[in-house]
Amino acid sequence: MTTTTATPTKPGIPEIVTNSAAPRPSGWLSWLTSTDHKRIGIMYIVASWVFLVLGGVEALLIRLQLAVPDNTLLSPQTYNALFTMHGTTMVFLFLMPMIAGFANYLVPLMIGARDMAFPKLNALSLWLFIAGGVVFYGSLLFSPAECGWTCYAPLSETAFSPSNGVDSWIFLVHLTGVASFIGALNIFVTITNMRAPGMSWGRVPLFVWTMLTQAILLIISIPVIAGAVTLLLTDRHFGTHFYDPTNGGSPLLWQHLFWFFGHPEVYILVLPGFGVISEVLPVFSRKPIFGYKAIVAATLGIAVIGTLVWAHHMFTVPLPFFLLIFFMLGTYLVAIPTGVKIFNWIFTMWRGSIEFPVAMLYSVGFLATFLLGGITGIFLATFPVDWQLHDTYFVVAHFHYTIVGGAVFAMMAGLYYWFPKMTGRMMNEKLGKVSFALTLGGFWITFLIQHSAGLSGMPRRVYEYADVNNLGTYNMISTIGSFILALGVLLTIINVVQSLRSGAKSGPDPWRGNTLEWFTPSPPPVNNFDVVPRVRSVEPMQDIRRQIERQDRVGEEAGVAAGD
Amino acid sequence: MRPSTSFRPAKNSILFGIVLIAALLLPASASFADFIAPQSGGGTPNAEGIRSLYLWIFGFGCVVFFGVGGLLIWTVLKYRSSKGAVAVRVHGNNRLEVGWTVGAALLLVLISVVTFLKLDQIKNPPNSSASGLSTPKNVAFNSGPAKPSLPPNGRSLNIDVNGQQYLWRYTYADTDTNNLNNVFSYEQMVVPTNTTVSLSIRALDVQHSWWIPELGGKFDAVPGYTNYTWFKISEPGVYKGQCAELCGRGHATMIASVKAVSPDEFKLWYAGQKAAILTSEKEAAAARNKLIAKDAAALKTAPTSESPAAAAPVAAADGKKIFVAGVPATGALACGSCHTLGAAGTKAAVGPNLDVVLKGQSAAMIKASTLYPNKVISKGYAANIMPANYGTSLTKAQLDALVQYIDEAVNGK
Repeated sequence: MTTTTATPTKPGIPEIVTNSAAPRPSGWLSWLTSTDHKRIGIMYIVASWVFLVLGGVEALLIRLQLAVPDNTLLSPQTYNALFTMHGTTMVFLFLMPMIAGFANYLVPLMIGARDMAFPKLNALSLWLFIAGGVVFYGSLLFSPAECGWTCYAPLSETAFSPSNGVDSWIFLVHLTGVASFIGALNIFVTITNMRAPGMSWGRVPLFVWTMLTQAILLIISIPVIAGAVTLLLTDRHFGTHFYDPTNGGSPLLWQHLFWFFGHPEVYILVLPGFGVISEVLPVFSRKPIFGYKAIVAATLGIAVIGTLVWAHHMFTVPLPFFLLIFFMLGTYLVAIPTGVKIFNWIFTMWRGSIEFPVAMLYSVGFLATFLLGGITGIFLATFPVDWQLHDTYFVVAHFHYTIVGGAVFAMMAGLYYWFPKMTGRMMNEKLGKVSFALTLGGFWITFLIQHSAGLSGMPRRVYEYADVNNLGTYNMISTIGSFILALGVLLTIINVVQSLRSGAKSGPDPWRGNTLEWFTPSPPPVNNFDVVPRVRSVEPMQDIRRQIERQDRVGEEAGVAAGD
Repeated sequence: MRPSTSFRPAKNSILFGIVLIAALLLPASASFADFIAPQSGGGTPNAEGIRSLYLWIFGFGCVVFFGVGGLLIWTVLKYRSSKGAVAVRVHGNNRLEVGWTVGAALLLVLISVVTFLKLDQIKNPPNSSASGLSTPKNVAFNSGPAKPSLPPNGRSLNIDVNGQQYLWRYTYADTDTNNLNNVFSYEQMVVPTNTTVSLSIRALDVQHSWWIPELGGKFDAVPGYTNYTWFKISEPGVYKGQCAELCGRGHATMIASVKAVSPDEFKLWYAGQKAAILTSEKEAAAARNKLIAKDAAALKTAPTSESPAAAAPVAAADGKKIFVAGVPATGALACGSCHTLGAAGTKAAVGPNLDVVLKGQSAAMIKASTLYPNKVISKGYAANIMPANYGTSLTKAQLDALVQYIDEAVNGK
């Protein structure tokens, strides 16, 4: 007996089932020896979160020391070591590997590839990064570096930093640098050569575009910092004088080389975040991204201009006047593509039907936070204003707004968005929302007030300050905020651990995503795809869903016809 | 004025509230003056220029932040998913996208224009006022990648600011070429009001950064370079600041202050410092002469076979004697009491090490340096330390023997 009433068809969820697959290897040894891009990606992310906890504890100790004026909790030596480790950890050991982890996991899946182009090099990258982290944290047993994450010469020369802490910092930069460089080559080759049939450059997902751009930036800038720290190493141990002014060397050489890497590094950290946002916003607004081509052009534009403005970190050193003008106007130029992106993102949501899971909340939080970070960037780009703001807490606030607002919040959105794909389980939305509220609120309380601390005359990297110009009040507010922020991050860690064990099963495509990773089961099998679908637009999963819907309807109509 | 006969609690309490809030806000607003903008004070035009430029950008920034932020919040609230809401499938809008790109560019052009308009006030110092200290034309500036900013008439009080772990040394430029007798101070700089003060900023060891927030922006003291800035204070007072570039464990305690006093007070202070330096120089000279006299007396009592000036043929061996002991009778001090020379076994470090600085030099050069010690000054040493009397206190033969000895001792035969 067949039904004669036409029931409304539910849109089908596409599923590809493998016919046979080798059993998934398990046990810790299979992880250590894995060359599977997904396992390497997960190991990157887990290791980076271990370093996030370390860097976070360092940050809390810094905030405790600064909570009240003239505090004596920490010695100047410990304090200097702490902010050096905090900055270095967050840049080289948390953000860069976390981005590398997401890139490793997602790029092959998004472009319909079965792995990275060079799986063994990929594993080498991971283990070099971990070696770098171990070498750097090894210096805790001796005497950690005290020269800040920028390690300006001649303070970092043997005459002023005789301990081996600076050497371990140098080796950290070498090891993680090589890891990033190899990783970037791998990503570049994978994206340019291994895209699914039909995925022309106009159909590449925006996250992949940002990773391609980031890879190019890394390939340009990593050799420069590697050279710079090598010169520092030979200065320290082999009698050269590259940065030693008493023997004809130049401290400014270090600053130029460091910032030629250091400024693109900012975009290395935030561009992938832009990519994540560009993936998450359309999915939860149920709308295509607004101005795909403009966003790609803005990404490339930011990268090109971003490599040419490094000396805006050096407005207060002796520089010829025309260079100040050049670097100011160049930096203004970066604001244009960045502004374009923010408008594109807002208009992606405009006239949409917006849902607010935690991933989307973090994306909106990112937009608001990054907006302010971008605006304070204009203050700092204006060199006469920078003369007042440079090296104060205003700058500390600015770069936390861009890096935490731009990179960390976006990556948190990515974590909540792709966790179901990586583990096959949903995260706890309720706990996630509490965590989001604490993280965003704690962040704004911690860092908004730091602008005022800087304007009131507080330089960065001081272990104590006098209670003048309300600095005591400002810093107490900031310290309270930092503990709220830390609690928010802690809740997300708890959420991850709980959801791994008892989260609801997610199925292959819980969000009705746009890109190819949602075509695979969650978690995806070792070689990702049995059949790589043909790509016809920027949103291949939309096409696939529509096609299945159509097939279902045709099938049902045929069934109805047969029953009659 | 009509006396109030009826008590109107509502109106009165409103009035009282307004007065109370105003009373609370007044001191608060004064103490929170640097809550949203950088400090400026003492009436120095550069800091005022920076503050006003900052406030312009702050205005633009507020428009953008509240405009775009408002749009974001409105969009998020208005288009949140609800029953029956259907997303509109738009892929973009070229006109809109070009519009906001051009809009962003125009805003930046506007900010650039304001910056260039303010730049003159921030960067270029004015002349000192008539009521300020009258200063000579400045000549003592070094050249480097950064150019010094001088007032139009070239007259300013030039102070050399030297950053060292962990203090600031200020040396006041004067008109003579002897830089040992200049007035100097540590930590607190004293300057006259209404006078343009130009600073040459240097560092001795690692990088530091000169920053007095109320007196304008910060300028890094980079070893091997000279950086420049200026200020012109109109209100007497003490302006405090501190090093703004990480320079080691004592970075937080490397404080600086500028004390602005009237030009007359400044002259008094300056003269006092100068007198103190001259007094101590005189005392040092007296002590030096005492030593010479003591040496001479010691030699007179010792039995000598020959008169020092009359020794006709002088051998190279005598060169060593002159080097180690000098010729006290004529006031020729022993070279070895100030210089290191391996062959003579002397190890003093008042002057440069001769084994190092004379290596590879000709005998003629050694002779010239002995006769005219200020002609060539080794790096790290000052002029006018070594006596310039060897042309008269030594005979020609003694001088030749000394030069020959030093030459052989340093450069071999």
